[in-house]
Amino acid sequence: MTSFSPNKEVERARPLLGTTVNIRVTGMTEAIAHTAITEAFAAVERVHALMSFHEAESDLSRLHAAGPGERVQLDAQTARVLMEARRLSQLTRGVFDVTIGSRLVAKGLLPAPDAHHPACSDANWEDIEIDEQGGARLRRAAWIDLGGIAKGYAVDRAIDVLRAHGVAHGCVNAGGDLRTLGEGPHRVAIATDEAGVTHIPVLEVGEVAVATSSGRANATPDAAPHIHGRTRVEVNRYQVATVVAPQCIHADALTKVVLALGSESAPILQQFDAVAYLQNQAGQWTGIGTAL
Amino acid sequence: MKSRFLLIPAYALVVAAPVQATVYMSVEQAQAQMFPGATLTPDFVTLTPEQMKSIEKACDVNVLSPNLKAWRVSTGGWFIADQVVGKHEFIPFALALDDKGAVKSVEILEYRETYGDQVRNEAWRAQFTGKTHDAPLKLNGDIKNISGATLSSRHITDGIKRLLTTYDLVLAKQGS
Repeated sequence: MTSFSPNKEVERARPLLGTTVNIRVTGMTEAIAHTAITEAFAAVERVHALMSFHEAESDLSRLHAAGPGERVQLDAQTARVLMEARRLSQLTRGVFDVTIGSRLVAKGLLPAPDAHHPACSDANWEDIEIDEQGGARLRRAAWIDLGGIAKGYAVDRAIDVLRAHGVAHGCVNAGGDLRTLGEGPHRVAIATDEAGVTHIPVLEVGEVAVATSSGRANATPDAAPHIHGRTRVEVNRYQVATVVAPQCIHADALTKVVLALGSESAPILQQFDAVAYLQNQAGQWTGIGTAL
Repeated sequence: MKSRFLLIPAYALVVAAPVQATVYMSVEQAQAQMFPGATLTPDFVTLTPEQMKSIEKACDVNVLSPNLKAWRVSTGGWFIADQVVGKHEFIPFALALDDKGAVKSVEILEYRETYGDQVRNEAWRAQFTGKTHDAPLKLNGDIKNISGATLSSRHITDGIKRLLTTYDLVLAKQGS
């Protein structure tokens, strides 16, 4: 079964992070490619286990179960993601806010966690304190959903593992949030969930991360999936935002900022060396921080 | 950040890849990856209507087929090749169970995706008939990456739940 032809492309997929994660490796022997992919999946599984909103043993569930002000020791990876989330909240003055979990539960988009403390309705990102030893405490009870950032982080970890195995060409795609290896050019089609389109948007990129968020996805008549952190109001459900950034954790999180702020997100994107493409309700595309 | 944005006529993509089908692994490759070095012996089961009913009752997931493709693993555990119905297509997947019947790993064997659901719609495709010759952009094969709204893996999760119940009610009770 094992071939030693180095040009072989190996691609595998697993159901993880609530979506399908696929990993493609080219230019390696089949045996090395499979080992690298198996270990990259393990890195994604680890992020899933630590940061799941649903699983009782996750760092998040332990934090939700703790009382206000009670310190919970986190894994270094969870602490890193929460610190990045806080940084984004600071930069966007709360437009990006992972404590919207309670709002998503209220809308039926997330199941209520098995927490002893109901979320305080006006708790926000400033209630999350992280210390230098990777411990966290919630000043007020809050339900944190890392669904808008952890997937991108998991993609970054998987890319690190592939690199450590010497993989120079490939792609990790977690349900549409992806990061490429190698200069390519890689062609990335953007799925917009529109009906009856005549043109398909395609990005040509080098070694980079690309993430897309759509207000159309998973929307029900009563609930759109993205919420403005500061106003706690749903953002326009007919927009699609694609962000290109060096790291997938940033690309993933910044799509929500672009959906909420539109072209005003330009200075924030710049801080992350990122650009964005935004499609409005009428189907027109605008580049933010880049020409079309 | 260097990136180039293109709007490609949909018909160019329809011609290049009407349906994006990716074969990740064959059943044999999955067996080799999920149980390296082990010998797998087929132990296929045809579920009785009563078994199917009790599985559905226990896990609240429909059992679509009475045929269960299961292999016993020499080093302990089971390998099961099965499929679930995705948005439009069957999605074949493989499930590895350890000797206690707990999930060891899951691999999706094949996946079909389209550039939007409409590509599968005959009427939508018909509007591009005859336009194939003047496609302004030549595509070198498939576009292999799609960035888009997250597709739920719910159907696969349900399929795993059904197989775990099938293990409990049927496989675990079989003598070796």
